[in-house]
Amino acid sequence: MVLFECQGNVDGILTGIYDAWASRLGHGNVGLRIPETGTMELFAEYRSVAPDPEKAEKVARTIRRRMGERAWQTLYQAALSSRRDRADRIYRVLVLALAPGIGADMAGRILDRLQDPDVAAVFEMSRNVGNEAHRYLGFVRFQELSGGILFSRIRPENQILPLLGDHFSNRFPRENFVIFDTGRRDALLHRAGGPWAVFEKAEMEELQPGRFSAGEEAFRKLWKGFCQSISISERENPRLQKQLWPLKYRKWMTEGEDFLSNHRTSSP
Amino acid sequence: MRIAKERDLYEKLQILSDAAKYDVACTSSGVDRRGSGQGMGNCAASGICHSFSADGRCISLLKILFTNECVFDCRYCVNRSSNDTPRASFTPEEVCTLTMEFYRRNYIEGLFLSSGILVSPSYTMELLYQTLYKLRREYRFEGYIHVKAIPGAPAELIERAGFLADRMSVNLELPTAEGLRRLAPHKSRKRILAPMRQIQLGHARNRQELSLYRSAPRFVPAGQSTQMIIGATPERDYQILSVAEALYRNFQLKRVFYSAFVKVNEDALLPALPGGPPLLREHRLYQADWLLRFYGFSAGELLNEKHPNFNVFLDPKCDWALSHLEQFPVEVNTADYYTLLRVPGIGPKSARRIVQARRLGSLDFPSLRKAGVVMKRAMYFITCRGRQLAPLKIEEDFILERLLCRSSRKSGEPVSYRQLSLFDAGQLLGPPPAELDQTGVTGGDGYGSF
Ligand code: SF4
Repeated sequence: MVLFECQGNVDGILTGIYDAWASRLGHGNVGLRIPETGTMELFAEYRSVAPDPEKAEKVARTIRRRMGERAWQTLYQAALSSRRDRADRIYRVLVLALAPGIGADMAGRILDRLQDPDVAAVFEMSRNVGNEAHRYLGFVRFQELSGGILFSRIRPENQILPLLGDHFSNRFPRENFVIFDTGRRDALLHRAGGPWAVFEKAEMEELQPGRFSAGEEAFRKLWKGFCQSISISERENPRLQKQLWPLKYRKWMTEGEDFLSNHRTSSP
Repeated sequence: MRIAKERDLYEKLQILSDAAKYDVACTSSGVDRRGSGQGMGNCAASGICHSFSADGRCISLLKILFTNECVFDCRYCVNRSSNDTPRASFTPEEVCTLTMEFYRRNYIEGLFLSSGILVSPSYTMELLYQTLYKLRREYRFEGYIHVKAIPGAPAELIERAGFLADRMSVNLELPTAEGLRRLAPHKSRKRILAPMRQIQLGHARNRQELSLYRSAPRFVPAGQSTQMIIGATPERDYQILSVAEALYRNFQLKRVFYSAFVKVNEDALLPALPGGPPLLREHRLYQADWLLRFYGFSAGELLNEKHPNFNVFLDPKCDWALSHLEQFPVEVNTADYYTLLRVPGIGPKSARRIVQARRLGSLDFPSLRKAGVVMKRAMYFITCRGRQLAPLKIEEDFILERLLCRSSRKSGEPVSYRQLSLFDAGQLLGPPPAELDQTGVTGGDGYGSF
């Protein structure tokens, strides 16, 4: 068994796929592994893969051409997952989809074959990532810094920043904004009128309260007040609220602080 | 006017959001619109929830009244003219500022603007129109706008507002004309249905225009909705659901919302409701409404004169399946899409996945789970390759008992009243099922290079 060790970002995974495939050792004799996780296996040879954007691009192009855009979106989202086996699972699905004799129409539909454990795993990861990104479309909160820049911090489970880029830059074309993934320390940056980009391991200074714009506090207060007054007390249901809006998101949200403390006082 | 002193923006927002909260429409769904690049905002067809209030409802829109001054005296309403309650009115600028600044911080998906009747319906509608005009044209807001059409306002004004909004709604208020006469003396069914019809026809006309000129201005692109109050008047569920069905059919409404009556006024004509607002009933109506819109059920299949109310213990679909056991079990590997949809525990998404997956080989029980089927409910109603997971005789009482046992395990918990509208459409990011790429070529040896 030869295990290709690749980095956990999309470029790293696609390069790993490229190298494992190109090794021609036989699909049954190779595996992919993301080294930051898991234990070492005995009796395996390790090959470390340096991410190579060109190789990654080739793999991406092949997937799009052979399997279609929808399949690409699914595989791409799966690669953004935080699950440890994502690289190898994606590799296995590609082995199925790109096998000889599989026509173009079938290649894309391989992803419908939930009977297959690798397809099911990829599907599940992709759905999980998509759901998390969808939640953050609503849960991201910006604060205005004194220079007018909008700044947001989040702590998602998966690498969702690339899935937020189109949405927010289309929504706020004339704003400068930053969304900072505090766990990975990746930053999504958008310049007014320009494109967006994700920078890995970005250095962000810790924010001091004094750096917010003059109007920021007033709007925070208006919003928090609104979130309280819009609730119907006769229907109050904190358990339902918690189920739909888990505590882990609230820490990073303007109005979440209030509900965090409410929560603490109401249930010991 | 009763505004004693100049209120600041915070106070106004408190009063006018508090006064708007009984309107249940919260969704921002139904229209996909990319931003033009010149302004601020876009719209996502699936709708986006931004927060959740303590009552567990989704917060998606800045939901406010323009004013809670009102010359009408609807008995169920907190803003009725005879109530002594603090009053306030926004200016159009204030509404624009709040919307823009909240939107910029990603607090909201857009604006929901309703209003009490200040001076007259026309006067009020004119104010709403002015506000939307300013927001769209001066502030270049391109996010979601839901606005009320005020019955009794001139058709032309409603039409113009409709070209600025994404969704319009006229509240039916109460399920029957009789109820309306009793509780809302200034309103009439006829006056409510008139703007509803106008919006429907305007929408249809606009679709035709759009098919000819793609860049024609869009009229209420997310369609219209309405809401009725449940439990303020004595209608049965069957009546209510039939009204909803007729609204979907005859007025092409996008959504009918149901609002469990919250008793805010002491009034001899209002019911006592000692148990609080009828939340479970509201929940059942939402479930049934879902069945009307996405599962091909009709109101008459779910309820009838002899059985006019929903089962408190069972959701309407399970209830229906149990009284139609002769149609079960169905074989998941062969049953058509619509038959699958009628199985408890199978929804549109999982039914679609089943149909797609079985083209590539027959399905077993684990793969059904992966397709999203809720097996604890479905297992009584399906076979898979001829086998049934609950290999026991299918009998109404037996299944009923089992289904109830399952839920009573968690009987300490309140039933989830979550509005089904939260996840209106697919949550998976990315393009909806598109045509597959047909241009690929097959590699030679399984090692076709990248
Ligand atoms: S018209 Fe009736 S329902 Fe509307 S605000 Fe006035 S009193 Fe309330």
